[in-house]
Amino acid sequence: MKLSLQGVIPLPLREKVSVAKSGMWNSSVSFNKGEYIFVQAPSGTGKTTLIHILYGLRNDYTGEVKWQDKALTTTDNEALATLRTKNISVIFQDMRLFPELTAWENVDIKRRLTNTVTEAQANEWLDRLGLQAKKNSIGATLSYGEQQRVAIVRALTQPFEWLLMDEPFSHLDHANTKKAIDLILEIVKIHNAGILLADLDENNYFPYTQTVIL
Amino acid sequence: MLKTLLMRTQHRSRLWAALLALCIGTTLLLLSVMIWWNFRELLYGKNQNDTLGSTFLIIGKRVTEQNMGVANATVFQQADIDSLKQAPQVQDVGVIASNHFPVYAMMGGKLPLATDLPLECVPDKFIDNMPDDWKWEPGSRTLPIIISSQFLDIYNYVFAPSQGLPQLSESSVKSIALNLKVGEGDSAEVFSAHVVGFSDRIGSVLAPQSFIDYGNKVHGKAGAATAPSQLIIKAKDPSDTKFADYLRHHDYATNSQNLRWSKIRAIVEVVTSATGILALLLMGIGTLVFILFIELTIARAQHSLTLLLQVGYSPHYLSRFMIQRFLPMVFGTVAFSMIITIIAQAVTSSIVKSQGLVLPLVPGWPIWAALVISTAILTMLVTRSISGAIKKH
Repeated sequence: MKLSLQGVIPLPLREKVSVAKSGMWNSSVSFNKGEYIFVQAPSGTGKTTLIHILYGLRNDYTGEVKWQDKALTTTDNEALATLRTKNISVIFQDMRLFPELTAWENVDIKRRLTNTVTEAQANEWLDRLGLQAKKNSIGATLSYGEQQRVAIVRALTQPFEWLLMDEPFSHLDHANTKKAIDLILEIVKIHNAGILLADLDENNYFPYTQTVIL
Repeated sequence: MLKTLLMRTQHRSRLWAALLALCIGTTLLLLSVMIWWNFRELLYGKNQNDTLGSTFLIIGKRVTEQNMGVANATVFQQADIDSLKQAPQVQDVGVIASNHFPVYAMMGGKLPLATDLPLECVPDKFIDNMPDDWKWEPGSRTLPIIISSQFLDIYNYVFAPSQGLPQLSESSVKSIALNLKVGEGDSAEVFSAHVVGFSDRIGSVLAPQSFIDYGNKVHGKAGAATAPSQLIIKAKDPSDTKFADYLRHHDYATNSQNLRWSKIRAIVEVVTSATGILALLLMGIGTLVFILFIELTIARAQHSLTLLLQVGYSPHYLSRFMIQRFLPMVFGTVAFSMIITIIAQAVTSSIVKSQGLVLPLVPGWPIWAALVISTAILTMLVTRSISGAIKKH
């Protein structure tokens, strides 16, 4: 599934974008499935805005975002839901777990939508990221690092062609970051999917095929 | 998990209150339709509730100074009867035929009685309290008669006390045999007459039509008038001014007391209609309360709804989930209301039965139609409300 942006300018950043040279905003770019894209951006330049726009959470922008030549602005809610369950997965910067559900339930509520990952598989992933003792803990009681790891596993429990990530390891230590990267890479390769990761500083988390300065 | 996320904000007490409001509204609506339909059944139905459904009037041509003594001046010709059948509010017209032959009634024992007795007959459909054995065939010496219940009252409360005679109950009157000598001279015949019923509608002594016809034919006086001097009318609403004008125009006389009942009936009709409107209003309020409760539940789950949509749940899926939670509540409430209505109908039927009236034991088709329509409307409103509320997110 190809991702393309044509002249996209978020309305809140209109004035900033017009004076700055941007690799993503107000440009015509496209990325193919299987590519690993790193979007580097200082704070306030719209990393989270980019992820939200690509995921269809925001439509306050000019220009066009297209997933496989279908503009997001013309995609209805039902088609958008299909896109989010079968084609695009996301790891939010603010995790966005359900605070009243347990760690396991937060993963399972996503897993059940497509049922392409078994319970055993999902449990194993949680174990790999060191959450075996936290599966029955309510989301609101988890630390940020634990929440982030749950969000990572949740994002992997569906089929996808693109995995969007917004500062996915900001609350993890080096060891957990490594474990998360290994898991993500493993699953991404299974799906032959593309990655688009937005972060503040340069990094070598993944073997990026392209780096874009936002 | 979805139930935890979307329905946990429901307070049980508020849910029950919303269901109660809906139940009260629906029940009142169904009951008002039941009342309206039962009223119509009593008035206009086919269950022989004619005492309520129509007013029966005895009319005759007014005797004036001008027509007094003029032969056939106060009898009804066929043209008069045909015209009356077309008059406003008139549902049916029956001829009251009287005997044109001498009838002499005799009774012995403790109640010595001997008198000339006028007999009349009306078509069977005009007789209230129709007895089972109301028939006579030529050759039979036993004659059933119906007397006015007023006659028994006059005897018991006026004549008997003044004459020191015993009062009589209806059953004792029915056990008395009355000898009727019909005709004169050698051709006279004697019949044994028995009272088989009492009429509140017709104030005379009735005999079966076949007996009057036989008597008139065999013992009737030559030249006696055969046209009727009285008619019995079944009218829907004799208080109608057009009907009153018709009677006045043709100079027909009737007992105006009978007109009062139709006015009371008209008032009851207005009251039942007003009850229906009120019930509809309460149903609307009950529905509104329930819908507001649903929207409040969804509004309280706003954060969870937003997250679910972001995680990939479709609005259609979430709407369906909520609809599957709330619609059974609606169906259960409506079913409960219908059960109350069915019980109410059964109770009403048994109560009116003791009054000599007939109502079906189960609710009539309008109540079932109201049930189906109100359920369909509720389903549509609940479904649209849920879909609309979720779409907003």
